[in-house]
Amino acid sequence: MLAARTLLLLSLASPGSAEAFANVDVGGRVDSVDLPTLDGGVEPLLSAKARANVFIFFRPNQEHSTETLRAMAACEREFGGKPIHWIAIVSSIWDPQEVRKVVSETGIRMPVVVDQADRLYGRLGLRLHPVVGVTDGSFHLLAYEPFMKVNYCDRIRARIQFALQEITADEVRKVEAPEKATMPGEIEGAPLKRRQHLAEMLLKSRQYEKAAAEATAMLAKDPRHAAALVLLGDARAGQGDCADALKSYDAALAIDPAQPGAEAGRRACGGGK
Amino acid sequence: MTRLRMPHILVLLALARPGVAVPAPAPKDAKVKAPVAPVHQGPLPAGAKAAWTHAPFAAGDCSICHERNDPKNPGQLVKQGNELCFMCHDEFQAILARKHPHSPAKAYCLSCHNAHDSRQTKLLHAEATELCLGCHASVKKTAERSAVKHKALTQGKKCLACHNPHASSVEKLLTQLPFDLCVSCHSADGMKDASGKTLTNFGKWLADNKEWHAPVTAKDCSACHLPHGSAHFRLLVADYPPEFYAAYDEKNYELCFTCHNPEVARNAETTTLTGFRDGPRNLHFVHVNKAERGRTCRACHEVHASKQVHQIRDGVPYGSNGWMLKVGYTKTPNGGSCARTCHDTKSYDRKPEIPAAASTAKK
Repeated sequence: MLAARTLLLLSLASPGSAEAFANVDVGGRVDSVDLPTLDGGVEPLLSAKARANVFIFFRPNQEHSTETLRAMAACEREFGGKPIHWIAIVSSIWDPQEVRKVVSETGIRMPVVVDQADRLYGRLGLRLHPVVGVTDGSFHLLAYEPFMKVNYCDRIRARIQFALQEITADEVRKVEAPEKATMPGEIEGAPLKRRQHLAEMLLKSRQYEKAAAEATAMLAKDPRHAAALVLLGDARAGQGDCADALKSYDAALAIDPAQPGAEAGRRACGGGK
Repeated sequence: MTRLRMPHILVLLALARPGVAVPAPAPKDAKVKAPVAPVHQGPLPAGAKAAWTHAPFAAGDCSICHERNDPKNPGQLVKQGNELCFMCHDEFQAILARKHPHSPAKAYCLSCHNAHDSRQTKLLHAEATELCLGCHASVKKTAERSAVKHKALTQGKKCLACHNPHASSVEKLLTQLPFDLCVSCHSADGMKDASGKTLTNFGKWLADNKEWHAPVTAKDCSACHLPHGSAHFRLLVADYPPEFYAAYDEKNYELCFTCHNPEVARNAETTTLTGFRDGPRNLHFVHVNKAERGRTCRACHEVHASKQVHQIRDGVPYGSNGWMLKVGYTKTPNGGSCARTCHDTKSYDRKPEIPAAASTAKK
């Protein structure tokens, strides 16, 4: 099971060597260490009790770190009560006052630990800030996420949800490669659907000739549009031309025997079953 | 009964009678300004030439949207707000359900469109870009005043080349992730920027060079580039040294240090900050941190993609004639070497190695 999930994760990793810590690949195991907290306590990097471990390397006085911590503060609230171990890591070179300031500004609640002489940074092989790492409960690295300007939060949220087994690898892939946001005119069938709705409303207001014109325009684009044939039938029936209406209903049923409205139209025009 | 607030009453009144202006919804984003003037919703004055006419209005079918088919007295609308539009344009229900909707579109189609006719295509109140920049004043300012401009903002589909004004699954209403958008244009030979400089064919470059910089792999060109305009060459977000040599000043490397750790160039010795070290001797410091003729990042790194790991270049243009100076890098298990070009062949070894961070070693 674990091997299968690791393989899935490796398949999620994008091409190129940059998508991992220099010393730990996605799928590799991260060793936990105890780290001193900013307030004098001790906190482990990872927790075996958690189903997901999220650790964030940041530095003060850096816009990207501040943005990331803000996003993580929102994530912390959103995932509140779930078995996630959160931790933020800052180098010992920074003045604790500066660190406290950014922590307070961004609203993170997770423990902030101090990486003495950048030992953990060096062991993992980090080269930049911020980086969010996500592991599962057995400390296998599921995600290495350096800062992104666009869709960063969506990506990290998806990785955490994957660690919690709330979403599948396919769903993670969809977040990583979102569908193109097509314009209405690019959506297949949308212009015809629009005409169909207009024709339906024209029928409602008994403007049969105009409804027939809309249905005819639809059929010019798609001669096998069964719904357009029914609309044309309804328009002709409304005009009292049941002979023509029956031809349209029959044509619709020949294309789709279950086409809504076609049988009812036939019956109304005395066509029977 | 729910009490109607004043803006709602104004909207309803305006919708009820053609020719009345509707106040646009207030934007949620503090950086975005609401239009100064209310939006005119009635038909164009008699005799004015429309470029686009809404089909029911053109056909005189007022009753599709209004109570009566009388153009002089059409009466109330049959549905309120976007629900009216969705009666025909029902694809917008799915569009506006995307993760990142444009709040004016979600609030009110008539924020941007006139329901009757318009001098603009798609029944827009104004030319599309003018309409966007009417609210997005900071983008307008950047586009107009930046020293380095992006031609995409003034040519072709302009804003709509990259943004979907209704909704998107990508933040900032981008129709795709930044990389997919950028490369869709920047994959042509001979393309020139606004100042006439020939630009790289990135489709080809990235296909030929498989070691991609992390933001490229993450499809995030906007990590380093400002697509609306910039004070820095190549639309960069911050300073980046354009030459091979530069006196070391952290400000010169502001772009790289937006992500990379500036400590890498501050410390002569380290066993943690970089893998480019000989024992504890920090070779980034050795190359870069010089009062004169420091080697800039570009001397060794190709920022988008390279054939070598760590975006190390095969060669770098050197001097005014563009001679390609070979870098000659070879990676070894615990370090590497650079063959003679810049200097005699030199190798480095990270020993003593840092204790392993993982039980599964990096491949």
